[in-house]
Amino acid sequence: MTLVSNLYKYREFLKTSILKDFRGKYKKSFLGVLWSFLNPLFQLLIYSLVFPHIMGNRIENYTLYLMIGLMPWTFFNNTIIQSAACIVTNGGIIKKVFFPREILPISTLTSNLVNFLITQIIVLLALIFSGVGIAKSIIFFPVIVLLQYILQLGFAFIFSAITVYVRDVEYIINIFMMLMFYLCPIVYEPAMIPDNLLRFFKLNPMFDIITFYRQILYEGVFPDMYSVLKIFIVCLFFLCSGYAIFKHLEKRFAEEL
Amino acid sequence: MENNSCVIKVKNVSKDFIIYGDKANTLKEKIIRFNSSKKESFHVLKNINLEINRGETVALIGVNGSGKSTLLKLITKIIYPTKGSIVVSGKLTSLLELGAGFHQDFSGRENIYFNASIFGLTRKEIDDRINDIIEFSELGDFIDSPVRTYSSGMYMRLAFSVAINVDADILLIDEILAVGDKHFQDKCLNKLLELKKQGKTMVFVSHSADSVRFLCDRAVWLSEGKIRMDGKTDDVLGEYIKECG
Repeated sequence: MTLVSNLYKYREFLKTSILKDFRGKYKKSFLGVLWSFLNPLFQLLIYSLVFPHIMGNRIENYTLYLMIGLMPWTFFNNTIIQSAACIVTNGGIIKKVFFPREILPISTLTSNLVNFLITQIIVLLALIFSGVGIAKSIIFFPVIVLLQYILQLGFAFIFSAITVYVRDVEYIINIFMMLMFYLCPIVYEPAMIPDNLLRFFKLNPMFDIITFYRQILYEGVFPDMYSVLKIFIVCLFFLCSGYAIFKHLEKRFAEEL
Repeated sequence: MENNSCVIKVKNVSKDFIIYGDKANTLKEKIIRFNSSKKESFHVLKNINLEINRGETVALIGVNGSGKSTLLKLITKIIYPTKGSIVVSGKLTSLLELGAGFHQDFSGRENIYFNASIFGLTRKEIDDRINDIIEFSELGDFIDSPVRTYSSGMYMRLAFSVAINVDADILLIDEILAVGDKHFQDKCLNKLLELKKQGKTMVFVSHSADSVRFLCDRAVWLSEGKIRMDGKTDDVLGEYIKECG
């Protein structure tokens, strides 16, 4: 509860730091915020050339299939990597001013959320123009985004705090994320995973979240409520434990930086 | 509200800093030095008890390294005590280091917004104060130039103007008046005096005996992490000057 009231009190700081994160990223680049469109578009282009032609995928509307999984993944990937660094890079103000430290990971995450929502415009356009169309199940979109947000907030708390103590975490995460990419059904279908391995793949909450996105946008079906609830509890668990870890570690931030 | 109620209560506070021979920040170093971690703790503050009442202006004096700044940082909650507790009631602003979080490429005006928001002000509150802040800083037209073009005096003036206009109940001030020219120093001291008359509580760290006399009713002398003397400014300063020059 103190978290919420603190955030409300410092809402102006939260707002300015989200804006700073969002604008600052592309500051001084020629195309500016346009990069938040171009980056995922080129990534998409490359994957949609590589996988069907070289790997011989037989998924219908592969580019669309890929796009719907890839964008949430990029959101996840960028948030985790950037939040791991967010306390360390703001060491200057942490050592000098008191403010709720939670604001830093939250603003990193939220500026990435804004970015993600912008890229979803491309997905919507692609759905319309490819003839797949927009199904009623899209009303579940905010729910799935919320699930992903909660999950990532938990991770952002954990990694931003741990990196202060062990700087390697920033680099270890990079490697870990490369592996995670292939553990999520982004470039392939879940059906391609051997049955005996599927259980292990499903331990990763992003596996289900990406599946949900695909169900509501690509297949146009409502997700299974039982699985949504299950993932919600998992996400909440990560958020609570992440916050507890953060609160415990934040006490020595100013001394460790 | 009671006039002499305690707003800062420091109870049995000790603070140790861990000094690493050479801090292992990476995993590699942590593993290599797993057995030979040269940790040394350094007791900065030893069992400090201090109560500051509403409306008091208290000076913290002492030689370098006596723990004055550490105590201020503890009260602000930038760092946490190893032992003991600190209770603060009321809105607190610390002027520990001016211009923390200033962004070099942003203009003075933008930095006012950013800096004041770190202190917990809302957009509207900043809008209400922006003219006072700019006027106090005497920056004039420079307010819309990027901060990196400022001289160190201008930089400090801007930062001080923001901090002083935050409208906190409790102000913690750490030797910030050392910069700036005589004119601006006097202006700051007078502003602080005005805030004092409004009933704000202040904790003031300074090496300038004149400013301490000018502003504070009470002085606390810290020596090697302990309170050596606590009393009326003139008495404490007199003893302090006798011993430390």
